[in-house]
Amino acid sequence: MSPVATVTDLTKQYRGVTALDRVSFSLAENRIYGLLGRNGAGKTTLMQILTAQNFASSGEVTVFGQHPYENERVLSRICFIKESQTYPSNLAVRHVLRAARLVYPGWDEEFAQRLVDDFQLPPQRNVRKLSRGMLSSLGIIVGLASRAPLAFFDEPYLGLDAVARQIFYERLLADYTEHPRTIVLSTHLIDEVSDLIEHVLLIDQGRIVLDAEAEALRGQVVTVAGPVAAVDEFARTGAELHRVLLGGTARATVRGDFGAAEHNRARSLGLGLEPASLQELVVRLTTQPNGHAPAATTAGATSKEAAR
Amino acid sequence: MNRALTVARLQFVAWPSVVGWPWAILTLSFVINLAVYGAMDDTDLQPTTGGLLSIYVMMFVACLNSITQVFPFALGLGVSRRSFYLGNVLQFVAQAIGYAAVLYLLAVVEEATDGWGIRLRFFGLPFVWVENPLLRFLGYAIPFLLLGFLGIAIALVFKRWGVNGMLTLTTAALIGFGGLSVLATWQHWWPAIGRWFADQSGAALLVGWPALLTLPLAAVSYLVIRRATP
Amino acid sequence: MEEGRPIFQQVAELLENSILDGTLVEEGQVPSTNELAAFHRINPATAAKGVNQLVDDGTLYKKRGIGMFVSPGARAKLRSRRRDEFARQYVQPLLAEARKLGIDPAELKHMIDTWGEN
Repeated sequence: MSPVATVTDLTKQYRGVTALDRVSFSLAENRIYGLLGRNGAGKTTLMQILTAQNFASSGEVTVFGQHPYENERVLSRICFIKESQTYPSNLAVRHVLRAARLVYPGWDEEFAQRLVDDFQLPPQRNVRKLSRGMLSSLGIIVGLASRAPLAFFDEPYLGLDAVARQIFYERLLADYTEHPRTIVLSTHLIDEVSDLIEHVLLIDQGRIVLDAEAEALRGQVVTVAGPVAAVDEFARTGAELHRVLLGGTARATVRGDFGAAEHNRARSLGLGLEPASLQELVVRLTTQPNGHAPAATTAGATSKEAAR
Repeated sequence: MNRALTVARLQFVAWPSVVGWPWAILTLSFVINLAVYGAMDDTDLQPTTGGLLSIYVMMFVACLNSITQVFPFALGLGVSRRSFYLGNVLQFVAQAIGYAAVLYLLAVVEEATDGWGIRLRFFGLPFVWVENPLLRFLGYAIPFLLLGFLGIAIALVFKRWGVNGMLTLTTAALIGFGGLSVLATWQHWWPAIGRWFADQSGAALLVGWPALLTLPLAAVSYLVIRRATP
Repeated sequence: MEEGRPIFQQVAELLENSILDGTLVEEGQVPSTNELAAFHRINPATAAKGVNQLVDDGTLYKKRGIGMFVSPGARAKLRSRRRDEFARQYVQPLLAEARKLGIDPAELKHMIDTWGEN
C-alpha cells in the first residue's frame, strides 16, 4: 500500500528561525495519526506545507503521489481544519456549509445537518456572532462531513467544553469506521485522544522525535519508585527519561521493552512500578530542565523507531 | 476551469449580501438626490451628482474583501490559488457586466424621463458624453474592472508583505505622485496636463485608459497570489 | 481503557471474561469490531487486532459474511488457561508481600479462610 503522504528532509525557515528541521515521515492510508508536540514545535507549519498553504525552504513533499502545490487533483482530496480559520464576515453558518458542499466531492449533507444538531449550532447565525466554541464546532463539521480522504484537524477544539469534545471524538470514530480515511489530529489533549490514534508523530523544536505505533508505546514507558540504588539498577534496562529525588528515594521514568519479567524484577528489587501514559511520555520527551531536547535519548529513540 | 466555476459560485453562497449592499447604497444615494434636487425646484439647473460613484467604491471594497476574507477561506477548503484567482475574477467580471447593463438601462430611462422629471443626472456617465452604445456600455463596465483589480492588488500586497508592504506601497505612492505634482508645478506643466485631459475623448477616459491600467494590475495580481499564503 | 497495556490485549481479555462469566455463550455471536470500537471509544483497527488474536488462538471463529462466534469448547479451554495463570498472577505476589510483612503461610491460610466466609 503506497503512503498517502510522504515528507522527506523537509526544512522550513522563517527569517533565520528554523521551524522545521529535516523532517521525514510518511502517512499510511486509512489511519488516525496523532501529531503531538508543544506550542511552536512546528505542527501547524508542517500541516500548512502538506496542504500547500505554505512553502517549504527545502525538502520533498508528496501527497497522493504528487506535489500538492496548485495541484487540483490533490487539493480537492484534502481538508485542513485549523484553529485559526477565518470565514468571510457576510456568511452565516449555513452559507459556510453550502460553500463546503460546493467544494468537496464527497460532502455528506445529511451527516453535516446531523452534526449541526449534535453541536447545537444555529444555522442562521452570522459567523461574526459565533462564540469561540461554535466556530470550532463549525470547523469540525466541515472537516468531518467533507469526507476528505486526507483530513487535518489542527487543535480543533478551542473553546469546546468536555461534552462537545466527546461528541467530536465519538462522531469522528463512528464515521471513520464507516468511511475509512486518513486523519491527522494535532492536539494538546493527549489523554483524550490516546485511545483513538493508531500512530504517534511527536515533533519538538522542528524535529520528529517519535514516530511510532500507539499500541507499541503502551507499556513501553514506566515509572519506578524506590531506593536510589534499586532505581539505578532497574533504569539500566531501558532509557531513563526523567528522575526526581527525595532523600534516598528516587522516582524515574524509564522507556524500554518491559514485559512480565521486568515487572517481576522491579518487584523483587522492592520498586513500585506503574505504567506511564502517552501524555507522560510526550511530556518527558519534549521537556528538559534546561529547555533543550534530550539529544542523546531522542536520537536513540528515533533510530529505534525507524528500525521498526 | 471547473474548479474556478466552483469558486465563482462559492462567492455567491450569500448572494443577497453580495448584490444587495451595493444596490441598496446606490438606491439610497439616488433617493436622497431625488429628494434634495426635487425640493430645490430650480428648473434652470441640470445637476450632475457623484452618487453613481458609490457603487464603484463598493466594488473596490468587495474586491479587497475577496482577498482578505474569501481567499483564506477558499484555500482552507482545498482550492488552488490559480482556481481561486480565476473564479474570483470570473465572478466580479460577471458582476461588472450585470451592473453595467443595469446602469446603462437606468441611464436610458433617465434620459427618456428628462432626468426623472427634475432634470437630474444621476445614472448618466459622469463628465462626458459617449455616443456609441457599446463604448457607452464599456464606459460603465471597465471602471468596475479597474477598481476591482486595484482592490485585489492592494489587498494582495497586504496579504503577502503585511503591514510593512502596505507602508512601503503607500510611501512609494506618496513620493511618486507628490514628486510628480511638485515637478509639474515647478515646470508649469499643469495647463498642458489639463489640456491633455480635455483633448481625450470620453471613451478614452472611461474605457481606453482604465483598460490599459487594468491589464497590468491583473497580471501582477496573478503572479503575487501564486506565492501568497492565506 | 487502562494505561500501560496494549489496548488490543485489553479488548481480547474483556471478551475472554465475557465468555468465562457466560455473557457470551458458545456458538453465540460476538459484537462486531465496529461495535467494540464504538463501545470502548477506541480505534477500530485496534479492536480488530484484539478480536483477531482470539480467532488465532481458536477462541472465536469467523463465519463468512455473518460475523464472529464463540468456538465450541472455548470456555473450558479459557478456564484451564486462566487457572494456570492464576498462580503466577495472584498467588506469587501474595506470598511475596506476605513474606515482606512477616506473615507466615499458616497465618495467610487463616486469613484466606476468614475472608472467604464473607
